[in-house]
Amino acid sequence: MSGELLPLEGVRICDFSIVWAGASATMYLADMGAECIKVENPYIWNPMTRAASPRLTAQTAAMLPAWISGHPGGEPQPRPWNNSSAFIHIQRNKTSFTVDSRRPEGLKIVQDLIRSCDILAENLPFGTLDRLGLDDAAIRALRPDIIILHVPAFGRTGDYVQARGYGSAMDAVAGGTILRGYPETSPLGNAAMVPSDFAAGMHGAAAVLAALRHRRRTGEGQLIEMAQVESAVQMFPQAALDAAWNGRSHGTIGNRSLEAFVPNGVFATRGGDEWIAISCRSDEEWAALVRYMGTPAWALAPGLEAAAGRAAAEAEIERHLSEWTATLERMPLFHALQAAGVTAGPVMTAQDAAEDPHLAVTGAWTRLPATEDYPEIDWALPPYRFSKSDVTLRTPPARFGEHNEYVYREVLGLTEAEYAALRAAGHVTTSYEPDTIANA
Amino acid sequence: MLADLGARVIKVERPGGDVARRLGPWLGDEPGVERSGTYQFLNTNKESVVIDLKAPGAREVVARLVGLADLVVSSFPPAVSDRLGLSYEWFEATKPIPVLEMTNFGSNGPYRDYQLSDTVLYAMGAEMWSLGAADREPIKIGGTAALLQCGAMGAVAALGAITAYERHGVGQLVELSLFDVQINSVDRRSSAILAYRFCGRVNARPRQSGAGLVGGVVACADGYLEVNASAGNYWRRFVAMVGDPALADAKFASPVAALDPAVKGEAERIITPWLLSHTRAEIWEKARREHAIVAPLFAGKDLFEDAVFRERGLWTEVEHATLGRFPMLGRPYILEKTPWRIRKPAPMLGEHTRSVLTEVGLSTPDIDALYAGGVVA
Repeated sequence: MSGELLPLEGVRICDFSIVWAGASATMYLADMGAECIKVENPYIWNPMTRAASPRLTAQTAAMLPAWISGHPGGEPQPRPWNNSSAFIHIQRNKTSFTVDSRRPEGLKIVQDLIRSCDILAENLPFGTLDRLGLDDAAIRALRPDIIILHVPAFGRTGDYVQARGYGSAMDAVAGGTILRGYPETSPLGNAAMVPSDFAAGMHGAAAVLAALRHRRRTGEGQLIEMAQVESAVQMFPQAALDAAWNGRSHGTIGNRSLEAFVPNGVFATRGGDEWIAISCRSDEEWAALVRYMGTPAWALAPGLEAAAGRAAAEAEIERHLSEWTATLERMPLFHALQAAGVTAGPVMTAQDAAEDPHLAVTGAWTRLPATEDYPEIDWALPPYRFSKSDVTLRTPPARFGEHNEYVYREVLGLTEAEYAALRAAGHVTTSYEPDTIANA
Repeated sequence: MLADLGARVIKVERPGGDVARRLGPWLGDEPGVERSGTYQFLNTNKESVVIDLKAPGAREVVARLVGLADLVVSSFPPAVSDRLGLSYEWFEATKPIPVLEMTNFGSNGPYRDYQLSDTVLYAMGAEMWSLGAADREPIKIGGTAALLQCGAMGAVAALGAITAYERHGVGQLVELSLFDVQINSVDRRSSAILAYRFCGRVNARPRQSGAGLVGGVVACADGYLEVNASAGNYWRRFVAMVGDPALADAKFASPVAALDPAVKGEAERIITPWLLSHTRAEIWEKARREHAIVAPLFAGKDLFEDAVFRERGLWTEVEHATLGRFPMLGRPYILEKTPWRIRKPAPMLGEHTRSVLTEVGLSTPDIDALYAGGVVA
């Protein structure tokens, strides 16, 4: 069955994408069956692309937040680039080979690869590919019907082209960061997060799928420019339109609802640092909540049966709800509220999610065998489940240079002697160069 | 997303309209079934056909619409699909095209019939637990971003399904659960889960924001900035941006400089006054010159008024038959040959009911009878 009826069977990607935004766009395309060949340079450490640092040790990893520095057994070495919790899973279904594209013989390899590719994807700092001699015209000279996906941070035109940043910078400019935080405090306490990486990956994959369809019908490739910041704006349309239409700027509303649901929030439950989210999306849900709580007197105050009345008493309702939830266990409360017709759910830690009974029976995970870089564990399957096409995790996350032999010998057709010469010149490896590691 | 890329999308609305029509913001702050910003944003380029799916005979009307289609997208809870008789098996028997079913929690498992809001979805599926202050409740992402992310994932799944249909001739069921979308989120959730599996660590809400001598959200003269000035290149660029030679001292460049309160305090006495005496625009301009990882926090008004974004096309306008011209968010991507384009604004409720029913071969008396019977509106 493997590989059967894949949407992008026979489509090849030359993948220069880094970090999360570009790399997740190509991950979705690889899930759909594209052969995604990562071009990796052993002489360049791209920050936040394969690990927090190539020198990460058990001690320094422990000082960083878990998501960015979780490595098997807490021990990143000897190859942190092959087992970072932040990045290794984004390499699923992909192929990795190494080449120093800044040297002439390396550039020729990349050019030969581009000739065989349907898509070139990149989100490198603005101008990087041009400096390699791979501007759009040069790429199209190699492969006239290619689809080029550029994911610049702030665009390829205008005054912001040189602005740099990770997803958190794009989220700030896109208007997302200022909406986060507690209602009575400024956004100063906000932890950095990167929803714009998530949006950009999905928007980028959608744009490429649309461009591929146009190419199937006309034979014509095209350029796609997706500024990550502009893709991110699409996550916050209500705030943007309220400003454009009514001159209003939104600030932080904590966990309250933009959709006028009252109550809508996160409340402490019994136990340490355990919480339940509750949303009453309608007057019926409120009535169901009141019934489930045992019809307490405070909830029967006149006016609360309608959303407008509840909005006027929102803080008071939240205070009463907090007192009530504080006496209850979150998981039984979650199930009981849902059964009673109230939208509610526990705030789940990563451990809760990993051990969640629903995800365990709905096929969210698949176990992959151990490699020399990571143990046998469960990995997330893509969220979309196709009933006929084999769109799933088909090949394990690509480790650095894992497919050198395949790409050089089979894809590019080099002889054993040519391959050996490139290996001797340092292009072909499964490790970053020592100086690169030392200076990263 | 599909309609804005050129697909003809026929939206089947319930009598009274999609729930989104009751969500703000409102054009001119005036609520109304055609004035919802949420609805206008989500439904550009679509056609609206109102069908009461619970009415006898409704399914025959739906079957005719399916006959026109290359793809079906539904977002019914599983129990509602069953009750309405609009299961994948029925669609497949009607026409073997791809069907994308978007559900809260999937079509089986203990949470199958549970309800979601943006907040509950973010609490369960995403990294809410690690967002906010250590001594406070976890905090959500802004707006309804979690739900909109699920929509974007749905567009990718739909395009994959259409591609398989066109290339291989297979229709199929594609299931997408909102919970799964967030569990897979590259906004730290998929990484946090993997970190737990690798080494048992769990992301926690931070005791303080930022890292290093300066980082995270900081204040400046007229608002806030997001800053990454971690040791190494990013610190050097930050120092170049500030331009005070005193900051170039080697004692500030150490990766552990922030662990020494005296050193941290000394750096703050230089950095904080500088930030507070410069505006977001001034600082961002200097940051761009030095490639410093510093960006302003924009609000909606900043985005709307920003000359660079306007010039690039972040905004567009639509011309509505009854509401006149108004601004709309523009394209998420620039496609050279097949541009994203708003051909028409979001449809009015039931605007296309009669024309589409005529197109699928119903006679005028038949259509009148469906209206009279309350099957369509």
